[in-house]
Amino acid sequence: MNLRKLLKMIYRVYINFKKGILDPEAEAIKRTIDSMGYKTIKNISKGKFFDIEISSSKNTLGDLEKISSDLLSNPIIENFKIIKK
Amino acid sequence: MPKKVVSIVVFPGSNCDRDLDIAVQKYMDVNTELVWHDDPNIKNQEMIFIPGGFSFGDYLRSGALATKSPAMKEVIRLSKKGVPIIGICNGFQILTECKLLDGALIDNYKRLFICKENFVKIENKNTQFTKNIHKNVVQFPIAHAQGRFYTSEDNLKRLEDNNQIVFKYSSRDGKINKSENPNGSMNNIAGIINKNKNILGLMPHPERAVNFSEDNDGISFFRGLQNLL
Repeated sequence: MNLRKLLKMIYRVYINFKKGILDPEAEAIKRTIDSMGYKTIKNISKGKFFDIEISSSKNTLGDLEKISSDLLSNPIIENFKIIKK
Repeated sequence: MPKKVVSIVVFPGSNCDRDLDIAVQKYMDVNTELVWHDDPNIKNQEMIFIPGGFSFGDYLRSGALATKSPAMKEVIRLSKKGVPIIGICNGFQILTECKLLDGALIDNYKRLFICKENFVKIENKNTQFTKNIHKNVVQFPIAHAQGRFYTSEDNLKRLEDNNQIVFKYSSRDGKINKSENPNGSMNNIAGIINKNKNILGLMPHPERAVNFSEDNDGISFFRGLQNLL
């Protein structure tokens, strides 16, 4: 791994539905997996993630939290989690 | 006396703005101004419509990106001053994403795009938007893939207690049950109003129910809005 890549500051924001919200897409995928013959799959939840590269570490987490709650996720239906890559 | 002017905010991907424009001009007897989304000024502030369509391609979530448009920032500001605002379909989605209306509109429970005529019961006829509609049940087309109204149980109770639920999917004779619920919306909700009663959002399309005869229910919807101006 080169130094430039090491120095890149990338955060990943994961977003998924809150518990109890029916996700018909995940349900359909689960039914298909069931039909493939797998017997041990209990539940599937689907989500999405964004990789966000930043240019400065100043206020990064604060900004990312705001961006995640204000735009990337809808707090009524979704949770988000931010990790450093 | 010159006619009053109603504003219709248009986003990249809006596709019901022209239909709405025609219905509003014809049946509210007003002129309209189409406001492009990146215009931070809304000159005509007596009443604002947010039309249906696929603003910003429905990217991220339906309505999410539109909430940050300069015109929507102005709509949010004006909404606090009591300006009457109506969001139809994607307009309703935008208003919930702006938090001007409660809840969220998510994938239909069968994940299909539903396009059909639906009966809709007017649950609250004491709003400025619905008090002049003579019928109790109207027939409006619906056309959406993300119309399943969701909110927390507490919020749902609050909406019911405050009479903020304005439209519910129903049978022809106004019965509310699961079989008349096209998209899995909580309690068959098709449209709600905010607590201050100046912002209405609905998934059905009254502007598509004006074309074929004078009996079309969209006509009485728009005629009934004349009293707001």
